[in-house]
Amino acid sequence: MLIQQLLNGLVVGGVYALFAVGFNLVFGIQRLLNLAHGAIFMTGAFVAYYTVAAGWPLWVGFILAAIGSGVLAMLIEIVCFRRLRKSGDAEFGAIISSVGASLVIMTVWQWISKTQIVRFPFETFPVIIFRFWGLRVSALQLFMAGAALVIVVLMAWFVYRTSFGRRVRAVTGNEKAAMLVGVNPNRIYNQTYFLSGALAGASGVLVGLAFNNINYMMGEPYLMFGFVIIILGGLGSIPGALLASLIFGMVQTLTIAFLPSGLTNAFIFFAMFLILLIRPNGLMGKEEAGALRGRR
Amino acid sequence: MSNTILGYIPLLDLFFLHLGLAFSQWIVLRAGVFSLATVGLAAIGAYTAGIIATKTGIPAPLGLLAGAFTGMAAALLLSWPLARLRGVYQAIATVAFLQIILSLNIYFEGLTGGAMGLNSIPKSVGTLTLFAATAGTVYLMVAITHSRIGRAFDAIRQNEAVAASLGVSITGHQALAFAISGALAGLFGALEAYHSYALVPTQFGFQYLIAIMSYVVLGGRNTVLGPIVGTAILILLPEIARPLAEARMLVYGLLLILVINFLPKGITDTLVDMLKARNLARRKVAAETAETRS
Repeated sequence: MLIQQLLNGLVVGGVYALFAVGFNLVFGIQRLLNLAHGAIFMTGAFVAYYTVAAGWPLWVGFILAAIGSGVLAMLIEIVCFRRLRKSGDAEFGAIISSVGASLVIMTVWQWISKTQIVRFPFETFPVIIFRFWGLRVSALQLFMAGAALVIVVLMAWFVYRTSFGRRVRAVTGNEKAAMLVGVNPNRIYNQTYFLSGALAGASGVLVGLAFNNINYMMGEPYLMFGFVIIILGGLGSIPGALLASLIFGMVQTLTIAFLPSGLTNAFIFFAMFLILLIRPNGLMGKEEAGALRGRR
Repeated sequence: MSNTILGYIPLLDLFFLHLGLAFSQWIVLRAGVFSLATVGLAAIGAYTAGIIATKTGIPAPLGLLAGAFTGMAAALLLSWPLARLRGVYQAIATVAFLQIILSLNIYFEGLTGGAMGLNSIPKSVGTLTLFAATAGTVYLMVAITHSRIGRAFDAIRQNEAVAASLGVSITGHQALAFAISGALAGLFGALEAYHSYALVPTQFGFQYLIAIMSYVVLGGRNTVLGPIVGTAILILLPEIARPLAEARMLVYGLLLILVINFLPKGITDTLVDMLKARNLARRKVAAETAETRS
């Protein structure tokens, strides 16, 4: 029972990782919180659903969802953040601006879905259940874990082993110095947001498949969980977000299994509060990420 | 004629209730605390009053006081951990606080009515009470603005290091701002409980938070007039343009993006700054002409 729960938690954690790594990637590079990330995530789920509903196979929906969400995230950066970054007070402004973007996206999907919950047709993903060592693992869970793993590894390779990744890290470190050596920060921002959005979209599809409940409000709880994960892992740290997602997935499934229902959220957010107090930089955040730093 | 005015009374009540919370949000932002806790504190005040009204026979004025007091106590408790955090971290911590309040609210069913909420709270607050509370709040805000405390808030918001070097206690003042914010949120939450017969937990959610934030951002964060103008515009807008009422969230979203990008100080603050600049320019011209004459 316990091991089964831990396994389920790991799978869920993998999906959270897709969401949180993108969230943290953006925070790491611009020091801005993109509160529209939940709405981008939901967009992924909806795009995949409507593609499948139109008769296309699931993998087409998956790719379209990733591309669509990526483009949406890029648009958000251009429309909501670009002007703000040039003014001084982007930290506050970005939160307001991205909440605005989130509201707009949610309303649009509310209209398209007519405030209904939509579900993937039965057997969009074949229901196969493997049993071994007394554990039950569905093919979907395997697919989720596999997809999460592949995507995260790909992304890590991108960020740490390619020229693109070097440019991203250069801009993260020092935007002006990066410009001096011929990196166009705006282009890097576009690419990073695309990547972050595509990851969110992919996790949206996986969550949509797993719980088969897609609605215009589905992004909100994940945004909240995203907060907990990036605080636990350390704001701006990608490996931290990865580790924290897995821990969070397991802790969440365990609390759901063993705590009275209804207390799960209170417990999770209280735990986050404690982390903020005791170790505001999280597991792997760098000191300069600076929770305790004075505002500039 | 009197009918048309009576028809707008619910709108006026709504305006007063939201304005109180807008000021609760405004005062913390003013002191440089990046808190999104107002709605959570209002929920605490509202449920305190609601529970007192439905489970005991304590009269409404005491219920209001209790609401304000619990709101303030919760805010003071919250200000202690928040003092260690800055910026984005404060925002995240206060959002977590809101989530904790929401889920505890649903969990303690015996006390708060759980997901069903509290019903049949005797209505004992009318427009006049709301007006009095709001007027008192506005007076308090103006008084704070013109006092040493208000100037300390401004100094902290603009530059913490400078404020600290001038001997302004940052934790002390932010705790004070938080206490005022909590008392206001608790009071107006309690007023809402006594005004609207029923409380449901979903009422104090993210949407409410966004609405309150929009009032302050649209109106302006540095003048007392700001929240008043912002709340008035956003409450009246859906009434003037009926089709907009259905797309309220879309309008809020677009407004937030446009205002923060193109009018980052909000409507009144931008106007006030423009007037000041104009006066200054005029005075400069006057001074220069006086110089050339002499």
